[in-house]
Amino acid sequence: MSEELAGLTVGLIGAGNISHVHVAAWKAVGARVLVYSLEGAEELAEEYGLEVVPSLDELLATEVEFVDIVTPSATHKEITLAAIKAGKNVICEKPLTLTAADSHEVIDAANAAGVRLYPAHVVRFFPAYKAAYDAIQAGRIGEVAVARFYRQASSPAGAGWYRDVAHSGGVIMDLMVHDLDQARWLCGEVTTVYAVQNPPTVDGISPVNVAAHVTLTHESGAISHCRATWGATGTTFQTGFQVAGSTGVLKFTSDADTGYREELQNGGAGGDLLIPASTLGESPYLTQLRELAIGLRGGPEPRVLASDGATAVYLAEAARASMESGQPIDMKTFVSSGAVA
Amino acid sequence: MTLKVALASFAHVHAGSYAHLLAAMPDVEVLAADPDGASAPDEGPRGAALAEAFGVPYVDTYDELFAWGPDAVIVTSENAGHRALVERAASVGAHVLCEKPLATEVADGEAMLAACEAAGVILMVAYPVRFAPSYLQLRANVEAGRLGDVFAVLGTNNGKIPYAARQWFVDAKQAGGGAMIDHTVHCADLIDGLTGGASATRVYAASNRILHQDKGVEVETGGLVTINYDNGLLATIDFSWSVPDNGPTWGGVSLQVTGTNGSVEIEPFRPHVGGTDANGEVFLGIGGNLDESMLDTFLDAVRTSGPAVAGQPPAVVPQPDGAVGLRTLRIVDAARRSAASGQAVDL
Repeated sequence: MSEELAGLTVGLIGAGNISHVHVAAWKAVGARVLVYSLEGAEELAEEYGLEVVPSLDELLATEVEFVDIVTPSATHKEITLAAIKAGKNVICEKPLTLTAADSHEVIDAANAAGVRLYPAHVVRFFPAYKAAYDAIQAGRIGEVAVARFYRQASSPAGAGWYRDVAHSGGVIMDLMVHDLDQARWLCGEVTTVYAVQNPPTVDGISPVNVAAHVTLTHESGAISHCRATWGATGTTFQTGFQVAGSTGVLKFTSDADTGYREELQNGGAGGDLLIPASTLGESPYLTQLRELAIGLRGGPEPRVLASDGATAVYLAEAARASMESGQPIDMKTFVSSGAVA
Repeated sequence: MTLKVALASFAHVHAGSYAHLLAAMPDVEVLAADPDGASAPDEGPRGAALAEAFGVPYVDTYDELFAWGPDAVIVTSENAGHRALVERAASVGAHVLCEKPLATEVADGEAMLAACEAAGVILMVAYPVRFAPSYLQLRANVEAGRLGDVFAVLGTNNGKIPYAARQWFVDAKQAGGGAMIDHTVHCADLIDGLTGGASATRVYAASNRILHQDKGVEVETGGLVTINYDNGLLATIDFSWSVPDNGPTWGGVSLQVTGTNGSVEIEPFRPHVGGTDANGEVFLGIGGNLDESMLDTFLDAVRTSGPAVAGQPPAVVPQPDGAVGLRTLRIVDAARRSAASGQAVDL
């Protein structure tokens, strides 16, 4: 329960993968959740005790305080604009939209309507990344020189829309966008973007077992690298970073130093075999959604704003442009084509 | 409902953590007293000056502190002073969170439990590692039977010697010993939580003073305690102050738990961002604030239980309670006797 969020009613739009962690967070703050989704709303509602609303229009006509959009990326723009039109504040999963032009369109619409819009860039709420941000801000490692970020996940081979670049934006827009935002958060504004990917995307379908490497230069003179991999199916989700500065280095890998290690035979004898990993500390999704919701209620400005979401998308677009030209993109002059794939 | 929470003494280094947390809580009014601070041999501020640094209101005497009418008292004095302050809190009907170890002598601990029981007040012992997410996951797995029958545990609580900030930690009379009482109780508490309160039946301890000889310390600085429990479990705890003074962090806790179906090892203070800076190794802990979880549990119980009624048990008995504190103190007491005699001690 959260006193600052007493009496909260949330309109959840979408019922796919990420909806589960969002719902858990809303339940943890004691919110009532109404859900609308093309698919899966009934099952989600059954599992968590939510109320199903049969259409988007009906959801937007209810008393929900804001909507939380967790639909496939290609639908973010249209649904966000509909919510803004209905005068509802919006939390939208990353990427905010699939092009920077679209992101600016929704931001302008929100400003014109007096509606607040926050993108869900959850990595800013993971304790390791926040600790690094705070240490860098405090001057602990001096001037940032070279930073590396990585993120790997199992290839989303079975889940249709992720591989369809028109719907997900591909591995850079869908997965690396987190670290593009981190690189900018920890190292400052970006001046150039150079990107490669192997194997290349063909006919708008991302390969499985694909890696993208992106090198950024920053206004401060810092250089950063983001590596995103959709690896072999079954690959453990892992992330990490190393940030080297003029007086120190910070390092983190998500699979080491977790403080919990088990080796159990034949899965254990009864009981709950699937204890969710989120029991290790507060879920960063909860930290995030609480902070965003308090921001929507007029509380302190959260640590991530719509403009940050738009910039992350802009960087991902520049990475795609770099792959097409084979040359670095100068962010002072880069104008996104607006093309999704 | 606003709770009045008294902080009795700044002798323990954790008082600062509690003060900062309490000062930031809505619906909590804090008042602190540290009358013995002025006579402490340590450098650095105590008393009113330290209260100001912590951001909490201050009175000069315990008389004023207890006359304030606190709903709850947090006792953070030297270990030997716990009994007097806990009994005083019980006498004014205030619920108690007592810093670990419960006391330096078993008889003191028994008297404290009796006083709190008679007054109907909560007696909780400050064992924050119980609230570590990795420990909660371990305990859930043990309770779900995933480890099978747990038959052995190895615990470690190794840290820096808490000498620079507070010298009473190495005063056998004030602390009840050295590293043995300071550190054994944490692991003993974690084991107690896994077993649902098994009692120790035999304790053997060996200790020495090889570490920190340069500081002229007269208490043990390193050693091991081996415990047999009434449910058959065996456990060994390394309680040494064995993290060097220039280590990147204060130290840590580990618990390696072996059952008939496998094993789990936790290190609650391990999650961190590492690296180096101009002063050497960097260790930025990211494992969460365990003191905050512990205080929340205590204060929730105080709120739910409401004012104490003499002779009536409180509605909520938050864990770890005084009984855990007493069981873990009995282990340390036996360990002290064993280390002195060189013989295992039966309980």
